[in-house]
Amino acid sequence: MGLRERLGKEWLFCDGGTGSILQGMGLKGGELPETWNLTRPDDIRSLNKSYFDAGSNIVNTNTFGANRFKFDNVPEIVKAAVKICQEARHEAGRDNDAYVAIDVGPTGKLLEPMGDLAFNDAVDVFAEIIKAGYEAGGDVVVIETMSDSYEAKAAVVAAHEVCALPVIVTMVYDESGKLLTGGGVEGTVAMLEGLKVDAIGINCGFGPKQMLPIAERLVKCCSLPIVVNPNAGLPRTENGATVYDVDPEDFSSVMEEIAKLGVHVMGGCCGTTPAHINTMINKVKTLPFIPPVEKNDTYVTSFADCVKIGKKPVIIGERINPTGKKKLQQALRENNIDYILTEALKQEEAGAHILDVNVGLPEIDEPVMMETAILKIQSVTNLPLQIDTTDIEALERGMRIYNGKPMINSVNGKEENIKAVMPLVAKYGGVLVALPLDEGGIPETSDGRIAIAKRIYEAADSYGIPRKDIVIDGLAMTISSDPNSAIATLDTVRRVRDEFSGHSILGVSNISFGLPARELVNSHFLTMAMQNGLSCAIINPCNGPMMASYRSFNALMNMDPNLEEFINAYKDYVAGTSASSSGPKSSSANNTVLSLAEAIERGVTGRAAEAMKEALDSGRESLEIIDSDLIPALDRVGKGYEAGTVFLPQLLMSADAAKAAFAVVKEAMADKPRNTKGQVILATVKGDIHDIGKNIVKVMLENYGYDVIDLGKDVPPEVIVDCAIENNIRVVGLSALMTTTVASMEETIKLLREKKPGTKVVVGGAVMTPEYSDQIGADAYAKDAMATVRYCDSVFDS
Amino acid sequence: MPLEVEIPLKEIQRYMGYRGITDIAPEMQEKIRKAADQVSIQSHPRIISREYRITVSEKTVVIHADNEDVTLESESLVRNLSGCCGALLLAATIGPACDMLVRRAGVTSAAEASIYQAAGAAAIEAFLDDYNEKLKTSYEARGLFLRPRFSPGYGDLKLEHQKDWFRLLDITKQIGIELTDSLLMVPTKSVTAVIGIGISRERTGCAGCAGCNKHATCEFSKERD
Repeated sequence: MGLRERLGKEWLFCDGGTGSILQGMGLKGGELPETWNLTRPDDIRSLNKSYFDAGSNIVNTNTFGANRFKFDNVPEIVKAAVKICQEARHEAGRDNDAYVAIDVGPTGKLLEPMGDLAFNDAVDVFAEIIKAGYEAGGDVVVIETMSDSYEAKAAVVAAHEVCALPVIVTMVYDESGKLLTGGGVEGTVAMLEGLKVDAIGINCGFGPKQMLPIAERLVKCCSLPIVVNPNAGLPRTENGATVYDVDPEDFSSVMEEIAKLGVHVMGGCCGTTPAHINTMINKVKTLPFIPPVEKNDTYVTSFADCVKIGKKPVIIGERINPTGKKKLQQALRENNIDYILTEALKQEEAGAHILDVNVGLPEIDEPVMMETAILKIQSVTNLPLQIDTTDIEALERGMRIYNGKPMINSVNGKEENIKAVMPLVAKYGGVLVALPLDEGGIPETSDGRIAIAKRIYEAADSYGIPRKDIVIDGLAMTISSDPNSAIATLDTVRRVRDEFSGHSILGVSNISFGLPARELVNSHFLTMAMQNGLSCAIINPCNGPMMASYRSFNALMNMDPNLEEFINAYKDYVAGTSASSSGPKSSSANNTVLSLAEAIERGVTGRAAEAMKEALDSGRESLEIIDSDLIPALDRVGKGYEAGTVFLPQLLMSADAAKAAFAVVKEAMADKPRNTKGQVILATVKGDIHDIGKNIVKVMLENYGYDVIDLGKDVPPEVIVDCAIENNIRVVGLSALMTTTVASMEETIKLLREKKPGTKVVVGGAVMTPEYSDQIGADAYAKDAMATVRYCDSVFDS
Repeated sequence: MPLEVEIPLKEIQRYMGYRGITDIAPEMQEKIRKAADQVSIQSHPRIISREYRITVSEKTVVIHADNEDVTLESESLVRNLSGCCGALLLAATIGPACDMLVRRAGVTSAAEASIYQAAGAAAIEAFLDDYNEKLKTSYEARGLFLRPRFSPGYGDLKLEHQKDWFRLLDITKQIGIELTDSLLMVPTKSVTAVIGIGISRERTGCAGCAGCNKHATCEFSKERD
């Protein structure tokens, strides 16, 4: 019988530790265990066999670290490991009831944005291992010891793309039930269930006792078979050897307790031996087996956050959507990601739980932008995202690299649309927004909408998407064209709850299109919709009346424990004032006396922007203001910094203030051609991931009128050179923080000299010195941001 | 699991580049306090350490691990560990959240990013100092004395030896720090170090900042205020 047919139906057992056993066989420190598949196959075979003999049904191949970062012959090593494990199984006489598991451990690299490994590269790394294991005849893929759910996702995607074998994933949590990346048990389970793995569990980290409470949490939230593989306690060194402190008897006693919680597959990890496993099997196999229980909770997750869609309504921020938003449109066209990030952070601050991300504009490459926007937004916020697009390629690329289980906006009742969207949701997982409209248009009545919703639920069934992961849109449309529309929408929302026990969503503000004082209608409509069971409200969380409705509703409906959220938000509320601007008020009144120059010198960002606006409003020319107020003020701070009377934080605050003032100018001149002193490339060189210094230089250069092409960090020489050639750049600024990366700085300079002679190179960073800079052939060394500005001035003024 | 150790605000200021300055504007002090709070709340410190026998000779220190001997060539380390027969190797991180706080702050303000950067650096040091203090007490109870922490990259101990730390302690698997190809650690607020264990209280060798080859140019020296 195949493993998939047995998982969750009977007790199954994994193997135990390998590291300490191999050390006992003479594995040297620093020697990679996987090399033994080729050099000492007999030892590996006897290790594998000892677990088959002990009673394990699932025995891992010796391939935990067999990835291309450590080996250049991955397929050979993996295939040998599978063959050895098959032979061991045969020798043990277990061909009929035991399985060879292609063991996949973490790459040892952290994924972007935390580390430097791109998601799709990680998928390739895992695919190479799994493909070799599959071709050699492995029975199941075991992805284990993952401390980052994103890396686990990459491995699962790889497994599913390479083969149809069952996939088991076990993660490493700490005692508080958190992954290294901050994710919890529930969110990780939701993501992995969405990815359609076959079993989910926990391994390594600590012994069975500490694992018990985490196993308990797993049982509460997981609908799939659960795997528990603890260590034999904690390691310590005894006479030069590593030993673990939990013996087989104690180990199996605690495992018996864990078994009774309702887990389904049990084994061991570091420090456990065939004796641990055998003793455990003997105790557990006679216990009553409790099959997995389907759970009905709906979660939208990010790598660290987990938002439950249920009784308490959820706020989805609508601000990252270019429809009707000129500034966002401009930002998207100019690839100004910072603007998008600012919008994301503002909405988080205002109380959004999930952020909608729609980057569709006819003149941009939407799939590329969707990928970039998701990656960048997830690098600054924990909030889960709602991927909002009608472009199927953008949807797929977004879902693929998304870190967590996203919301998807949307599918509708059209046959063709269902066929395009649902397979993606089935593959990557997600909570899917469904619009109850079809080839016949938008039904005017709730009867028509409910009928389409029913068809969508049925379609989801056929794709294996759980109904709990469908959220039906009530389709809010303006009451100014159809006076009955709010009633039809509210009915739909209520019936989704009552007739399907389903979840619902509304783009709330559509209800008032074409009306004056829209927030009045919107906020009351929101309350009515929530009273009718609305699960998710897509709104602008920065709008005071909307959030006032939301918080009041929760307070009134006993969904705000101790009224904490309400009180926190409105403790300074003054009756009679409009709640139309929520959030912190602008800085204190005494700042208003500052002139633009003073505001910049003192680093008061808000006032600097205000003062710039006042100056422009008074009819002054923007260039004149910049030349006579802004630059001299920055110069005074810069000179003070150079003289040692002003310190870096003050310089940075002034830079921030100047940047804010510039933003005002830029906005005022949005339609006019911009005047710049020249274009400069900035990059932190390959291998180096420190970019704070470079970012400071960027802000300063921009403030002094340069157009900066910021290539980011860890930038390969070719990319810098190609960019310099393409844009005919005169000055390139390179940054390196570590001695080890100065070599790639030198390499970059060499390549520049060769391909684009005459380009000036200015270098800086913690390890650089004037001597070093000469040695590697740079034109100039800049000790700080001001020095870079001065150098660029000297090049461009000459 | 927050940091559970107070981050000294003065240290944050030092990492920010304030040297010998006391009249920091109240708004800035407020920002620093806020950054310290956030870093503290969102940190998730993890640490791993193991004790090894070592042999210190004229120019090298040899660490005797389970199945291998690791040789570190470094005169500054020899000075730091002279008289020791054992050492603790350790690695610690406050986790990835601080890196995100820096990125978040950087979206709108270079100044705030630098404050978070400094707060993170001060946080991992404070966490280690606290851990160090506890170690010191427990070792002294056994009549043993600890030397100051020493990290790969200090003095003439090559950064290359990061690889030894990562292999011996299995750092990536145990506490989730990655060592990049260029020998940097991610999360960035992470530390690897060795602490010598000696039988005398005598503090030989370590001359503190003054003994460092970057002493003349270091922006962060504790002794140039």
